[in-house]
Amino acid sequence: MVANDQVNILMVDDQPAKLLSYEVILGELGENLLKASSGTEALEQLLKSDVAVVLMDVSMPDLDGFQLADMIREHPRFQKTAIIFISAVHLSDLDRIKGYQRGAVDYISVPVVPEVLRAKVSVFAELHRKTRQLEKLNRDLELRVAQRTQELRASESQFRTLANTIPQLAWIAGPDGSAVWYNKRWYEYTATSWDEVRIDGAKPFIHPDHAERVLAGVERSWAAGEPWEDTFPLRRHDGKYRWFLSRAIPIHDANGAIARWFGTNTDITEQKLAQEKVVESERRFRTMADTAPVMIWIAGLDQRITYFNKPWIEFTGRSLDQNAADIWISGVHPEDIDRCRKVFASAFAERVSFSLEYRLRRFDGEYRWIVDNGVPLIGPDQAFSGYIGGSIDITERKQAEAALIRSEKLAAMGRLAGIIAHEINNPLEAIANAFFLLRRHPSLDRDARRYADLAEGELARVAHITRQTLSFYRESQEPVSVSIFEVLDNVLDLQSRRIKANGIALDKRFRSSAAIQGFPNELKQVFLNLIGNAIEAMKDGGRLRIQVDERTEEKSGRRGVKILICDTGSGIDPKFAKRIFEPFFTTKETKGTGLGLWISRGIIQKYDGSIRFRSMRLASGHATCFAIFIPGLPAPQNAGFNASLVGA
Amino acid sequence: MLESKITILCVDDEEIPLMLRRMVLEKAGYDVVTARSAAEALVIVASRHVDLVLSDYLMPSLSGTELSRQIKVNRPSLPVILFSGVNEVPADAAYADLFLSKVVGPVDLCEKIAMVLGNLPLSK
Repeated sequence: MVANDQVNILMVDDQPAKLLSYEVILGELGENLLKASSGTEALEQLLKSDVAVVLMDVSMPDLDGFQLADMIREHPRFQKTAIIFISAVHLSDLDRIKGYQRGAVDYISVPVVPEVLRAKVSVFAELHRKTRQLEKLNRDLELRVAQRTQELRASESQFRTLANTIPQLAWIAGPDGSAVWYNKRWYEYTATSWDEVRIDGAKPFIHPDHAERVLAGVERSWAAGEPWEDTFPLRRHDGKYRWFLSRAIPIHDANGAIARWFGTNTDITEQKLAQEKVVESERRFRTMADTAPVMIWIAGLDQRITYFNKPWIEFTGRSLDQNAADIWISGVHPEDIDRCRKVFASAFAERVSFSLEYRLRRFDGEYRWIVDNGVPLIGPDQAFSGYIGGSIDITERKQAEAALIRSEKLAAMGRLAGIIAHEINNPLEAIANAFFLLRRHPSLDRDARRYADLAEGELARVAHITRQTLSFYRESQEPVSVSIFEVLDNVLDLQSRRIKANGIALDKRFRSSAAIQGFPNELKQVFLNLIGNAIEAMKDGGRLRIQVDERTEEKSGRRGVKILICDTGSGIDPKFAKRIFEPFFTTKETKGTGLGLWISRGIIQKYDGSIRFRSMRLASGHATCFAIFIPGLPAPQNAGFNASLVGA
Repeated sequence: MLESKITILCVDDEEIPLMLRRMVLEKAGYDVVTARSAAEALVIVASRHVDLVLSDYLMPSLSGTELSRQIKVNRPSLPVILFSGVNEVPADAAYADLFLSKVVGPVDLCEKIAMVLGNLPLSK
């Protein structure tokens, strides 16, 4: 037994011998034995120390056992202290009862049997020890409770301080959702007091457009015991609404039941505005991009296209989700792909702007010339994020440029022709006059006259060439009525020998006798050129079809005559198609002047007419058709159809 | 027809073509006076009788069209033929009665002069 676990046993007897004998008997118990030889002394001992058992002799001088017991019991501290009476004198039942009534626990008569005394004392000592341990345990527990209470108080105070310093509006509700607490920020924001919000809580502050949804959500969450979240505007004290992100989480007690709801409202007005600005700026960009007359694209860091505007999608007839990996490059003309890839990749590597001209397939399959200008996208933090580019269809511009170059060339040719004509025509006239005079000179003999004749004849050829090629001049200032097929017949007459020689079948379809106002020799020159070319192209025979119709031009509504001259000859190589009306362009090598079609077109343009051609080179044979339209029929002519001429 | 001789005023700044043209016209039976400039021609027209003026178109200082315009101011009935080596019929050629290319040759030239003098239709 540990020393501090010993209990005190107080032995009271006026006879020292008895005290000694008790001491011997109880010594074996190993408890702490206190001795008192009188009642007074016993009381002193009791006050000094905590006594488990009092062993006392009933009969003692001046203060007997019963009197002492009474005094002990009166003191509240000793009401439960065990008392064992030892008596040699009073052996009656009455005495025994008297002893119990006084609260004694036990009674031992003399002669004392040592084992009995030891056993009884031992029981009470043990009882006391247990009681003492229980009391100690109790005290410890109470102390711990007090400490915990203290800790909790501190923790709650910390929580409130914290909850009052966060920028959010915070609240706590009971398990049923009724508000129990709001933080300071809440009161500041709403300018309310606890009394005003304890019943309805936040309800009156939710924007009316959102209230129904928000409250339903909260109800659901409370019923299910699950966290809640929503975004809605809350009214501020000045009546203005601001957007909040609201959250609530359940706090469970030790048994898992919901003890509290803890909620926060975070002001997200700025974020929302910023987000709206981003959305708005994105929307604005898209509207702008979609209405721009330019095809716009954006490429990411991996060089892949991530955005095409509407014009791009409409142009190509493809959208981003169609094979997005190579959506751009797959539309590029095969001959331009390598160049495009190279320029694009090297621009990416160096992060510099680039400009690229290439052919891109349009939705209808036609390749169009595109000029593409790409600019690196550099963010405010100088971070490179890809490219943005604009593409423009420059096919027409390119064609116009080419046409302009051609027409400038033509104009220059025209000016040159004018100068040459002037410089040749002046001496030509003088020479012609000189030969005219010479040939008629009376002194000329036959030989000399023949030489003059020859010279004059050759001179006429020169004059003819300058008139035919270098000059558009009109013989007469006033146009006359010209019958188109009279002129055509005239030309065919002139060419009849060559037509026969080449074995060409002639198919005349003159469906109009229409006459137009003009200059017969000019028109004759045009037809002579075209028919001459057709015959030239059919060296091994073929079919020459010449057709005349009255026609109303679709574009302008003008009425006029349409003349078709078609041959089944060698055809026109497509690569020459754009050039055949250019001056000095010829496929006849040394034989042609290269001016025939150029002059013909010039003449037809003077009539505000048009000259076009179409040439097909097929395995079954070639066909070339020149169509001339000359306006100038005032009104639909009733007598225009002359049956006798059809298929002549 | 050629008994009462018709006088043609021939104008050109180039001497030799002018001379040859005069000779051709004389062979055709006309009386010919020549002038080497439009200014000289105007003096002649003002000082003596002329039946027709055949003038070069491009001449230094005063052109053929300007000459015909000035002639028509005082003598609207005096026929003027512009004779030229240029490609295009100039816009102001209308002051003259006829614009003729130099490459038509002497025969055609005489024919056209006869037409203008005889007031015959000009085309064909």
